[in-house]
This record gives sequence, structure tokens and C-alpha cells, in this order.
Amino acid sequence: MVSLTRFASRGLLAASLSGLLAHGAAAQEITFKDQENREVKLAKAAERIVSIVIPMASTVIALDGGTKKLVGMNPTAKSAVLEGILSKIFPETKDIPSDVTAPNFVPNIEALTATNPDLVIQWGGRGNDIVAPITNAGLNAMLILYGTEQLTRDYMTMTSKAIGKPERIKELVDWRDRVQKDIEAKAKAIPDDKKPSTLYIARALSEIATTGTKGSYNAWYMELVGGRNASAELNGTVTINKEQIAQWDPEIIFLNAFEAKLDVNWVYNDPILSLTKAAKNKRVYKMPLGGYRWDPPNQESPLAWMWTANLTQPDVFKYDLRAEMKTAYKTLYNYDITDADIDGILWMKEQGGSANYAQFKAK
Amino acid sequence: MIGLDSATVRFGSRTIIEGLSFSVPVGRTLAILGPNGRGKTTTLKAMLGFQPLDAGRRIAPSIVGYVPQTGTSNQRYRALDVAVMGRAAHLGIFGQPGPEDFAIAHSALERAGAARFADHYFDRLSGGERQLVLLARAIATGSEALVLDEPAAALDLHNQERLLTLLNTLRQPRDKAIVFTTHDPNHALSSADDALLMMPGGQPLFGPVAETITPQHLENLYGVPMRVVELAGPSGETHQAVLPAFAGIRAA
Amino acid sequence: MVRRAHLARQTLVFSGLLALFAVAFVVSLCVGRFAVPPTRALELIWLGATDPWRELATIDERIVLLVRAPRVVLAALAGAGLALSGAALQGVFRNPLVSPDILGISQGAAFGGALGIMLGIWGFPLISMVFLSGMAAVVLVGLISRINGRSETITVILSGLVVSSMFSAVVSLLQFVADPNTSLPAIVYWLMGSFATATWERTLIAAPGLIIGGAFLWMLRFRLNILSLDEAEAQSLGAKTNRERWMVFGLIAVIVGSQVAVSGIIGWIGIVIPHASRLLVGHDHRALLPASVVLGAGFMVIIDTLARTATAAEIPLGVITALVGAPIFAMLLRNHYRERSGS
Repeated sequence: MVSLTRFASRGLLAASLSGLLAHGAAAQEITFKDQENREVKLAKAAERIVSIVIPMASTVIALDGGTKKLVGMNPTAKSAVLEGILSKIFPETKDIPSDVTAPNFVPNIEALTATNPDLVIQWGGRGNDIVAPITNAGLNAMLILYGTEQLTRDYMTMTSKAIGKPERIKELVDWRDRVQKDIEAKAKAIPDDKKPSTLYIARALSEIATTGTKGSYNAWYMELVGGRNASAELNGTVTINKEQIAQWDPEIIFLNAFEAKLDVNWVYNDPILSLTKAAKNKRVYKMPLGGYRWDPPNQESPLAWMWTANLTQPDVFKYDLRAEMKTAYKTLYNYDITDADIDGILWMKEQGGSANYAQFKAK
Repeated sequence: MIGLDSATVRFGSRTIIEGLSFSVPVGRTLAILGPNGRGKTTTLKAMLGFQPLDAGRRIAPSIVGYVPQTGTSNQRYRALDVAVMGRAAHLGIFGQPGPEDFAIAHSALERAGAARFADHYFDRLSGGERQLVLLARAIATGSEALVLDEPAAALDLHNQERLLTLLNTLRQPRDKAIVFTTHDPNHALSSADDALLMMPGGQPLFGPVAETITPQHLENLYGVPMRVVELAGPSGETHQAVLPAFAGIRAA
Repeated sequence: MVRRAHLARQTLVFSGLLALFAVAFVVSLCVGRFAVPPTRALELIWLGATDPWRELATIDERIVLLVRAPRVVLAALAGAGLALSGAALQGVFRNPLVSPDILGISQGAAFGGALGIMLGIWGFPLISMVFLSGMAAVVLVGLISRINGRSETITVILSGLVVSSMFSAVVSLLQFVADPNTSLPAIVYWLMGSFATATWERTLIAAPGLIIGGAFLWMLRFRLNILSLDEAEAQSLGAKTNRERWMVFGLIAVIVGSQVAVSGIIGWIGIVIPHASRLLVGHDHRALLPASVVLGAGFMVIIDTLARTATAAEIPLGVITALVGAPIFAMLLRNHYRERSGS
């Protein structure tokens, strides 16, 4: 056992050295450190990728510009594909297996091995129990970390490198950077007392859950666009009660896109929530579901920020979201998105009557 | 009336009692005698209906006042609350004991000589005291039949005397059929009208005390020679007492 | 004389318990994450009690009467039901260490609930399903433990363990196949036990089972004294022990099923409260059952008030009941066996 490990690490060292020294000779070999600082070594660009991480499935499709390399995904990612636009752009996604993992990211190793992947994308920072089965089966695992925009850009870059398309990531990261800087510049002028309190509801139907600011991507972009996280005092994603929401009395409520049966009427029909400022001013919005759900970090995040910005600070931000979406979908999926597609993604039918939502109507 | 009619009980291939018949009418007291393992307890259980019979039948009123050796409950109840449980059969499953039932329970405690610790917790009483409370509970059932399981087994001589006196006071009004089991033939002599001897070989002997508690029968019963001696009582009358033949022999 | 002292003590204890419950109930309605001045809250409680059908327009009215009131009432009913069930069960098992989980009722009910949530059932059908599966667990325990026409206590307890594990395995299986976005969080959250989602509707769904089951157990309070005796003694006093015991189990299934259907599995109450009640009023079920009801209701209300007010986030009930319950249980366990080995 010891000698094997030593041998293996020596091998890895040799490989990375040779990668550094002789670019030409080992051109096919790809070596990098993942976000858990593990060495990932691929003999050649990954052709068959499984993403146990939910939002990365659609990101792999976007990075590759097609579905060929995605051979397995999380059932939650699959449901987004089926409910959203990806199944229309890429009908073959319906047939990609989603039995590779249990809901809690525990790999189903037989199903996973059956897809014959040469790279498995898994969450880091959640302990070895969800990683060891993958590596024990002799598969390559790439661990990524959730939370910040920087981490997102890094793991997207890493993935793009792994699939042998390092040139592809630049335009996507540049786009993220451009939009972020633009929003930051405009938001700088917003005085604190003009920042509305915004509440992101992470779960609504079984119990009500929301999220604190620390480590939350949702809170990060709500504050980026000139909002204040109403639930800043919380630590992580936790259960709260309606009384607490009444106490916070948020000016804007964003509902998650994960719960298919959830829509803005959940707020308007509730005896307590309907009395919040957000409800009274019709500023309740469900997050869109495009190539992926817009709540967590993913390839479409800049669209999510612009959507959130226009709704949170309508006087400051006036992005032409429809035009941005057309460009983005062309770039990401090489797809000419229709007005009907956009209406569906933005839930125009369900929440077209909300405050400031007319701006998103097709002209 | 309480008793058995041609009752047979088997445990697997072992026959414990076979074709056993006896009955105790109201007004009489029966002592069941015998060494361990001869079916005393089985007979008692059969009379109480706890032991299903393989043949024959049980003669008993619907409720029999049963006095177990020790109350086994680990629940902390007051003695009065234990005694009033005797009223359960009259109250039905959803019934609650009323003042009348408590009055009955209290007079039963008095009759059993346990009234002085009516308010004490049952599980804090001595073995002998508990037995009196359980006797009161059996009396409170109002049943015409009382069955006592080895009432003297755990008692010292002083308490044995008190128990026998008590049994005789219960017996006196001649309004109950009383059955008790015992190891000691003297208990039968002092407090029973009839005796049932669980003889070896499975042929029990049933009859009035005067005919059954004899040296010969007892010798058969216990497998040791027995003597009957006459003793002068405190007021000049004579009592009979039974002793094993080894009684009184001094150690060398 | 002594009896009068006993009566005086019981009266004192019960007045104390009732006062404790009343205070807990009212204070609980007056506190919460949303700031309602206590005087205003008291006024609203009065208005709500005197004119329950009035239109509730303002937020503080709705908070007190539509959020807090049903939650406090449901917590009180659930706490009372669980404590009552525990007390009755410990009586018929003659063992102060058993609780409703022991018969597999909780896990059985959990199975019905998880299945119901997966199938998208809600309201009365859900509660029926929860109750029926809780009952099925009890029947299963009965079938397994019934040997030669009767069930020994130890076989019943072990069968309960078997059936519990079986049902909890099936619940895990359901979680595995449940939709991770919709039914899975619902199942997980519901299994943890909480009153956070209480509404009058839910309270009214759970109330009939809790009240009817509780009323029947209450009517059986003297019979429970009999059933707590040794088998032969109880029979000699006219009890059909086996049949009556199963009747008690059935009533407990109704109570626990109703509670589990609306607020998930809540541990420890059924074991800790009867024990505390026994210390206060003794073992006689005629006093023990009402004491358990009042103490269970009050305790649950206090625990739930802590759960919903201590921090902005809801603290899972199980965390608090276990923190309070486990040490008490440990103490109880030691005392129980020390007494046994002593006598």
C-alpha cells in the first residue's frame, strides 16, 4: 500500500514536471490542481464527464457548446434541463443518465462507473465520504468549492481546460467580469438609505428557508446590485418562520427557481406575507430558469445579476435583458432564442404583472 | 362454590394433574397441601382460570378474590388505591370507583386488618403488610370465593399466627368459599375444613381435615415419617399438631 | 387525616401545573420574532377569544391569531397527547422506560407520512394515511409478538424494535427515491419534527384524533391501574388483559398518528413528562394522566416557544427535547435499575 502510494505520487510528480518542462512531448496530457488542492491528471482531454455538482452539468454543455461530453448528471440538474430551455435547445439531454448520485451527492458508484467517465465533477469541502467512492473506483475526480464568484470562475476555467478547450473560457469570464464591473460602478453611487432590503427564499413549500450573507452567492449578488440582504443575521441556509419575515418586512422578495410548484401567489395568498412591503408593492419575483436556475452560480450568472439589478434598482439599472439574453444564448449554446423562449424563462405569464416587470416585455 | 371437575393439565408429555375433582362450597375452607412440584400451583391457577385445562372443567364464579404471594407491581399506589382495584369487575372497562367503592375498599382493609396503612404506599410496605392489602383487595371484589396462594410462605412465626387468626375470622361468618395452598399441615388443621393432598403418583386425596390430615397420609405425601401430637391450648382445650418424625431430635 | 393531606397535596400540585400551563400559554402568545407589545398581544388574545370570526386586517392581529395561536394550541395538544400516550404505555408495560416509539408507532406513522408527501397528499387523507400506517405497525408488532395466543412484554418490545427498524429503512428508501427539489426536503423537514408550519387548518386536522384518543385514554385511567398489575392479578380482577392492552395501543396509535401527521416525530416528551408527573402526583393513573396532559402541554409550549424565538432561525425541536430529555432519561434509567437491584 505504502509503496504503491509512493510510486503513484512519484508518478504524478514526474508527470507534472514533464508537463512543465516539455510542453510539446506531453501535449495531450492535462494536469491541474483542483479547489481542494488535489492534483488531477488526465491522459488526454476529458471526453466523458459526469457532474454530480448540480449547476455544473449545464455549464459543461455551455463550455463544450454541445451535450456530447456530458454523460451523467445530478437528478436536480436533470429536472432543470427538463423544466427549462436546455431540453429544447438540446433534445438529446433528456437521455443523459441522472442515476449517478443520490440527492445528497453520494455517488451511486455502479451507475457512475457504467457511464465510463474520464472526469467526475464533485463538491469539495463536504468531506471525503462523497469523494472516496469515486477515487476508489479508479475514476478521476475534480473537486470544486461553492460560494464566491471567484471560485466559480476558477472552476469553470478548470473545467474548460479539462475538456481541452482552454480558449473557450476567456470570453465567458470576460463577460462575467465586464458585467460585474459595470454593475459595481453604477451601484457605487447608490446611498445606503436607498438600498431596499431584499429576501431570497431558498425553500418555501415544505418549510421556509433563507440564507445569511456569509458564504451565500445569492446574498452576494443581491448586495452587488444595490440591495441589502434582509436575512443577513442568519448563518448559512436555515429554517425561519413567517413571523420573522414580517419582522424583517423586506421590500423585495425573490423566490427560488428550484421548487417547480412555487410562484408569486405563495406570497400574495398568505395572510402574513401578503402584508409585507414587498407584497404590497408587488415586488415579489421568482428567479428565472434558463439554461439553468438563475439562483446559484452558473454559466448564465451575468444575466441573473442584470435581472436582479433592474428589479432592485430600477432607476439605476436599465439593462436590455432581452437583447443580452439573445447574445448570451448565441454565445453559450449557439442558439437563437425566441421571444416566446424568453417569456417562458422570465415567467412573464406568471409574474408579468409585478412591479417593474413590464420592462422585460417583448417590444 | 369453587372447584374443578375431572380437570387434566399437561405440559407437553408431562401430566401435572389428571381427572382432578373437588369443590369448595360457600362456608367451607380448603387447604391444598403438598411438596413442591406436585401441581399445587397448577391446581390453583386452574381454579382461577389462568391455566387452560386439557380436559374437564372449572367451577367458579365470574370473579374470584385472588391473593397472590406478593404484589409484583412496581407502580407506587396507596394501599387504599390497591384495595379499591378489587371493584374493577363491577365498574367495567371505562368505570371509575366512586365514594361507595372506596367505602367498600376501606371496610375490606379493616376486615383484613390493614386499615392503619390505608394511605401508605403499597411498595413501601413489608411483605406481610402487602399480603393483608392484597387480601383486602380480594375481599373488596365481593366474590364468594377467595383463593390465597401460599399465604404463609414468606411469613415469620408471629405473622403466621396473625394470618391464621385472620383466616379464621374470615371463615367464621361462613359466607365464603376459601382456598389456600400451604406446605404446613398445621395450617390446614388450624384454619381449614377440608384438605386436598397432592399425593405422589398423581392420585390426590380430597376430604375433611379430620380424615385426610393423618400421619399415614402425610407420610405418603411428604415421604418422611410423621407424628400427630396433642397439645394443651392456652385455655385448657387440646389441639392437634403434626410434626415430622425428626422433629425434636437433638443434634449429637 | 392522612387522606386529607394527600388530597390537599394533589390539589396544590394540580393548581400549580395548571397555572404553569396557563402562564406558558399566554406568554407564548405574547412573544415572537415579530414585535407585538405584550399589552397589545393580550388585547388581541381577548378579541380573538371573544370574537373568533372577526376580520383580521392588521399584521399584528394576524401574527398573534393566525401564526402564534394555532402554533401554541397545536404544540399544547401534541405535547399533551404524547405525554398521555407515554404515561398509558408505561402503565400497561409496567415499565417507565418505554415510549410510543417502542411499538413502532412513530416510525410506522413516519412511513405513511413520507409516502403521503411523495404522492402529494395533504390534509385529512394524509392524516388517515399516517394513522393507518402507524396502526399497521402496531398490528404487525402484535402479529410478531403473539405466541401461543398471548404477548409477553419483552417480545412486544423487541418486536416493536424490529418493526421500527423495518419502517425506518423504508422511510430511508422513500427519501432516496423522492424528488430532491420538492418532496425530499418536505420529508426530511417533516421527519425532524416542528410546529413551524402550524396553521389553524393543521391544528383542526390533528385535534380530533388527539382529543378523541386522549378522551378514551382518560376514561380508561382506572383500568390502566389494573392493567399495570401483574398479568394474573389483572385478570383475576376481571380485566381481559390482552384485548384491553391492544385497545390502549390502538388509542395511542390514533394520538401519535394525528400528532406525527401535522408535526413530524417529536421525541422524549412521551418518556420525560410521565416520569416528572409520577414524581409529582404518584403512579395512580387517575392522577398521573391529567398531570401528564397538563405538564406535557405546558412543556411542549415552552420548548416550542424557545425554538421559534431564541434565534432568527428556527431551532429544530428535536435538538431541544433531546438536550432536556436525554439527561432526565439517563437519571431515570439509573434510578430505575438502582431501585430494582436494591429491592
